[in-house]
Amino acid sequence: MSGMTLATISHALAGRKVLDTVSLVVRPGEMVALVGPSGCGKSTLASVAAGILRPDKGRVLRQYKRHGMVFQQSRLLPWADARENIAFPLIVGGMAKREALARAEAAAEAVALLPEDLGKMPDQLSGGMRARVAIARALSIEPDFLIFDEPFAALDPALRRRLQDLVLELGEVRGFGGLFITHDLSEAARIADAIAVMERKGKGILGRLTPPGTRGMRSDDTIFAFVQDALYAETLLTDLVNVDERAVPLDCACDSLGPRRCC
Amino acid sequence: MTERPLIRAPLRARVGEWFEMAPVLAGQAVLWAGPPLLGLALFLGLWQWGHLTYGAFILPSPMQTLRAAFGVLTSVEGWVILGATILRVMIALTLSAVLGGGLGLLAGYGWFLRAMLAPVATILLGIPATAWVILTMIWFGPSHGAILFTMAIVTGPILYIGTVDAVLTRDRRLEDMAASFGAGRFERFRRVALRQILATLAPVLGITLALGFKVAIMAELVSNVAGIGAALAKSRAHMDIDMALAYVALAVMGLLAVEHGIIRPMQRRAGQWRRIGS
Repeated sequence: MSGMTLATISHALAGRKVLDTVSLVVRPGEMVALVGPSGCGKSTLASVAAGILRPDKGRVLRQYKRHGMVFQQSRLLPWADARENIAFPLIVGGMAKREALARAEAAAEAVALLPEDLGKMPDQLSGGMRARVAIARALSIEPDFLIFDEPFAALDPALRRRLQDLVLELGEVRGFGGLFITHDLSEAARIADAIAVMERKGKGILGRLTPPGTRGMRSDDTIFAFVQDALYAETLLTDLVNVDERAVPLDCACDSLGPRRCC
Repeated sequence: MTERPLIRAPLRARVGEWFEMAPVLAGQAVLWAGPPLLGLALFLGLWQWGHLTYGAFILPSPMQTLRAAFGVLTSVEGWVILGATILRVMIALTLSAVLGGGLGLLAGYGWFLRAMLAPVATILLGIPATAWVILTMIWFGPSHGAILFTMAIVTGPILYIGTVDAVLTRDRRLEDMAASFGAGRFERFRRVALRQILATLAPVLGITLALGFKVAIMAELVSNVAGIGAALAKSRAHMDIDMALAYVALAVMGLLAVEHGIIRPMQRRAGQWRRIGS
């Protein structure tokens, strides 16, 4: 089973300390969502977890064979079509192009991309399709651990929900664990087994919340009640809502649950 | 009963569609090619008017020039002259690309080299091309090497600055993406960065090529070393204005051919995805 431990990670970017002795444990097979206000260092921590950044201090213990990563804004190679984008990690890994492209088609099928879409360039794909290509790209290497860095943040609520369902289905079928970065508490409650709440300015993990029930099985009502409870808990109110206007978890929760849920 | 091949209906539909679209396509073609052709006609008209006003000795007509250019293109001597300049431009541009582009790549990735070379590049860019022509004549005498040096020293800094800029403005998020899938430094450069750098460099290459041609002709003219420039000097000495204009026209046509045959398609290809980003 796949897990990861980030132990007392500290990291500075351009002379500014972004992470200050942050520790986080993702237990084997678990999907942990990491939430927190904007600028608290969530994406930096994801980059450390994915090996993009080497932390100044601290250790990353990886208990998995391979990880894939899905980024915000997809990050597709604009000069390559969808098929080539999906095959990219395989080609980088040294696989022959023909075989990689064949494997890419299988990954595309898993995220319900149509064969005729595979020849399209990124600019010819909708936002949702681009997100699917990015997920397929991460799946192409058959990872046992996935890191999502706010992958659906730029999408509309309905599409975001469909893609959340897709991630849940894939998690069910393929059994991967992972880290899901989001600033949307209801998305976190929907996708993850546990939610780690990050403190302001990378000061560490404030606490760990466990929504009731099993991921993928929670009803909207359960998620909404959980989000309400979490937001009204004193610590979260202080650290998530009242920080500044950019930290908008309450609005985001309303976005995802639809207008009828908005207070 | 045999089934009709499925391809027939779509093909027929496509042909029908094409016929329906023909007037629209023709209109688009006119809009695309019309204004440039009109501009060209205007230019030729003005040229002809100048010829009629000042006479063939001062300004040969477009037709006379065309005839002279045809004469150059159908003679071995003409091709030797054109070939000398073209070969020189190619060698000098390759030198510039290797030196300017190579240094630009290194400086783009290394701040120390970049900071160190910044004033040097500014100084080199500030020196007029004509000054280089004179200086190299004094240093090396009228030789093939002097012209190559002049062209390389004029175009090299442009390619250097273009390459540095291309390295610095590349989308690093794509390299982060590649790194997340385990791509090493070289793989990230080869598969992600280089593609972006070359795309940004495409217009710079166009400018460098045009400048290279102009500098080559100027240097050949001053140093009287075989090539279009030397042929121009000879035409001037013999008061053969037809031939002088023919060489100018051939140089311009050569440049246009390279620009539209190589540079523009390259820029279009690069621009297709640069417009959108990731």
